[in-house]
Amino acid sequence: MGYRVQKRTRPGFHYSLFITENVIKEFRQTAQSLIRYIMTIKQIIVGCALFVSAISLAQDSTQVYKKRVLETTEVDFLTSYYTQDGDNAAVSGGIGTEELTDITGTFVVSIPLNDDDVLTIDAGVSAYTSASSSNVGPFDGSSPADPFQASSGASESDLWANLTGSYSHSSDDRNDIWSAKLSISSEYDYFSVGVGGSYTKLFNEKNTEVSVNGNVYIDTWNAIYPTELRPFGDGGSGLNDRLFTQNTITGNANYSPRFAAFDSEGRNSYSLGFGFSQILHKNVQGSLALDFVQQDGLLSTPFQRVYFGDVADSFIDDFQLADAIERLPDARFKVAVGGRLNWYLNEIITVRTFYRYYFDDWGINSHTASVEVPVKITDKFTLYPSYRFYNQTAADYFRPYEGALSTDEFYTSDYDLSEYAANQLGFGISYTDIFAKFHVWDFGLKSIDLKFYQYDRDTSFASSIITAGFKFVMD
Amino acid sequence: MITILAGSLTSCVVVKEYEKVNINDPDMALSEKKCDRNVSTAHSYREAAVGANGGKTGGGCGCN
Repeated sequence: MGYRVQKRTRPGFHYSLFITENVIKEFRQTAQSLIRYIMTIKQIIVGCALFVSAISLAQDSTQVYKKRVLETTEVDFLTSYYTQDGDNAAVSGGIGTEELTDITGTFVVSIPLNDDDVLTIDAGVSAYTSASSSNVGPFDGSSPADPFQASSGASESDLWANLTGSYSHSSDDRNDIWSAKLSISSEYDYFSVGVGGSYTKLFNEKNTEVSVNGNVYIDTWNAIYPTELRPFGDGGSGLNDRLFTQNTITGNANYSPRFAAFDSEGRNSYSLGFGFSQILHKNVQGSLALDFVQQDGLLSTPFQRVYFGDVADSFIDDFQLADAIERLPDARFKVAVGGRLNWYLNEIITVRTFYRYYFDDWGINSHTASVEVPVKITDKFTLYPSYRFYNQTAADYFRPYEGALSTDEFYTSDYDLSEYAANQLGFGISYTDIFAKFHVWDFGLKSIDLKFYQYDRDTSFASSIITAGFKFVMD
Repeated sequence: MITILAGSLTSCVVVKEYEKVNINDPDMALSEKKCDRNVSTAHSYREAAVGANGGKTGGGCGCN
C-alpha cells in the first residue's frame, strides 16, 4: 500500500513521491524521538526555571529575613568625673601640683539606615579645671605665685568638644564590614580633624575575623607659652616687660631664658592597625592587634617649662621662672602589639584579660596587663572587679626637675614620659533590662553601668575616675 | 597571645552559630565596654603607651 504525493515546485515541473510504509514508520519513530526530545528540553527548562525560582526565593527570603545589623536606634549617654593630683607638674618643670578635675558628657547615637548600614554620631564635651595649667600664667592670680598652688588666672579651665560621625556597611552575609569616620575636636589651644576607615572580614563560619584600619589626624596648636617667656619672644621687651617691672625677680636677677616661639604649630598623626580574632572554643575567644603610629610636627607641649641644672634660678614670689620650654623631636614612631583572651567560665563568672607591649623611637618600652572578672549576681545585675598593671621606661629626653642642661638638644620634665609603674583597681556594677521597660520618651532604658577606678603610680601621682553609662533603645 | 595563636592554628573545631550563646554574651566582647571609654582616654593622656586595644591612637593633645 502506498500514497502518491504530487507537488508543484516550479511552473511546468512536477514530481511524484511514492511513500512506502517503511518510510511512514521511520517518520513516526523520528517524530516520537522529536517529541521525547522536546519533552526532555521542556523538563530541563522547567527544572531550570524551578531552580532559578528557588534561588530567587532563597535570595528573597535572605533579603526579607536577614537580621538587621542594628535593629533599632540606640542612644548611649556616657559621663565621667575624673580627678588627679601629684607633685610633678610638667607645666612647672617637674615640680608643683598636678591637680586636675574633669567632667565629661557624651552622647553616642547609632541609627540603622537600612538592614546593612549604620550611622553613628558621637558628640561629647569635657570641662576641666586644672591647677597645673593655671600655672601657665601663675602671676595673674591674686595670691603669690606658687607651683604647688593653683592660680586663679585665665588658663585655669577649658572646654574640650568633640564630634565624630561614622558610617558602617555590612555585606548581606555579614562577612564583610566597611566603615568610615570623620572627627573634629576643639579646645582653646588645640584643634584636631581626623578621618579614618576600616575593613573587617569574617570567615570560617564567623569563627575567625581579620581587620585593617587606618586613621589620619591633622592637628593644629594655638601655642600658649608660659607668661614669663612671652616677653623674650619676637617683638617682646624682655626684662622691661610690665611683668618684671611690677614684680621683683629674686635669685638670679639677670633672668635670661632660652626662648623662641615654634615656627610650625601643626601636628599630624597617621595610624595603621591590623586585627585578628578567633573563637577557640564555645566558651573562649581571643584577639590580637598590631598598631603602628607615626607622628610628625610639633610634638612638644608649648607651655611646659624646663629648668636647667647649669643655669642660676630666678623667682617671682615662690615661683621659679622657666629657663626654657620643653623641646622634643618633631617625629615619633610608635608600635603597639596587644591581645585579649576572654573565657566564659560558667553562667556566673567570665574572665576578661588584656596584655599589650608598646615601644617607640623615643626610647619608651611599656607593658600593660589587665584582668576583669564580671560576676553575674542576678539576671539583671553584674559586678565588675578589675585590676590593671602598667609600667614604662623613660623617654630618652626626659630629665627630672633641674636635670636638663642648657647644652642639651632635647629635654622635657613631663613625668608622663618618665619611668614609672602604676596599679589600678576598679569596681563596677551594671544593671540590664533586656525588655527595656523604663522609658524616657520613646526610648527604653536597656542598661546602666557604674564604675570606679583608683590609679596609683609609684611616684606621687594618683587619680580616680567615676564613670556611668546609660543605654537606651528606641521602641 | 601565644595561646590564641597556638589555639587558632591547631584548632579544627568550628563553633557553630547555635553554639555561640556564651561567646555572644556582652561580657565576652573583645573590646572595652563603652562606659570604660573615658578611662582609656585618661590612660592615653597620662601614659606613653597607646594602641592595640581598639582605642584612639592619635589626635588631640591630652596635655593638661
